Amino acid sequence: MTEPTVKDRVQELISENPVLLFMKGTPEAPRCGFSMRVVGVLDQLGAEYAALDVLPALDPLRGATGEIADWHTFPQLYVNGELVGGAEIVEELFDSGELAEMLGVPQPEPVAPAAADGAQQEAPYQSGPLQIET
Amino acid sequence: MTIELAEVERLISEALPGASVEVVDEGGGDHLRAIVSAPQFAELSRIDQHRLVKSAVRERFDDGSIHALSITVE
Repeated sequence: MTEPTVKDRVQELISENPVLLFMKGTPEAPRCGFSMRVVGVLDQLGAEYAALDVLPALDPLRGATGEIADWHTFPQLYVNGELVGGAEIVEELFDSGELAEMLGVPQPEPVAPAAADGAQQEAPYQSGPLQIET
Repeated sequence: MTIELAEVERLISEALPGASVEVVDEGGGDHLRAIVSAPQFAELSRIDQHRLVKSAVRERFDDGSIHALSITVE
């Protein structure tokens, strides 16, 4: 008996979970802005999904997903065994309604003014001009 | 280590003959965005479109010249 490799285990997870997110951190406490964006999309859709925190084994997991899906960055969202994409693609497919269709959930009604407010609230933190005393 | 935007455009253009490619710096010279429209994209899923563009510049990721590449498909 040989030990299952990381790649074997990743393939198992992908086939066992119809909607699987590889992310940095957890849905409750994302540790990366891109991962947080995908969690935000899935939450807006009310989709059920499994999430795996890649940080404890980042390099082996990067290697495994590189071999399996030719994709080397996280987050990665898999639906029905196929890699859908990272944050950028997930957001595009959410906006177009394709992601809701893939997940078999209703597309939330667009609420333009609220979305604009949200975008403002989520603007990245920027400090004032930094200075070094000389 | 940063990379000339023109070189990234060239790498993508060479991998995707007939494509129109624009690369812009989104921060620090190594966070780039490629805006690409290519005949090769027809019928491809979004992920496969991105794979094509990323594979064209894979070496520059591996050597650290590019840290992040966002892709806009037109």
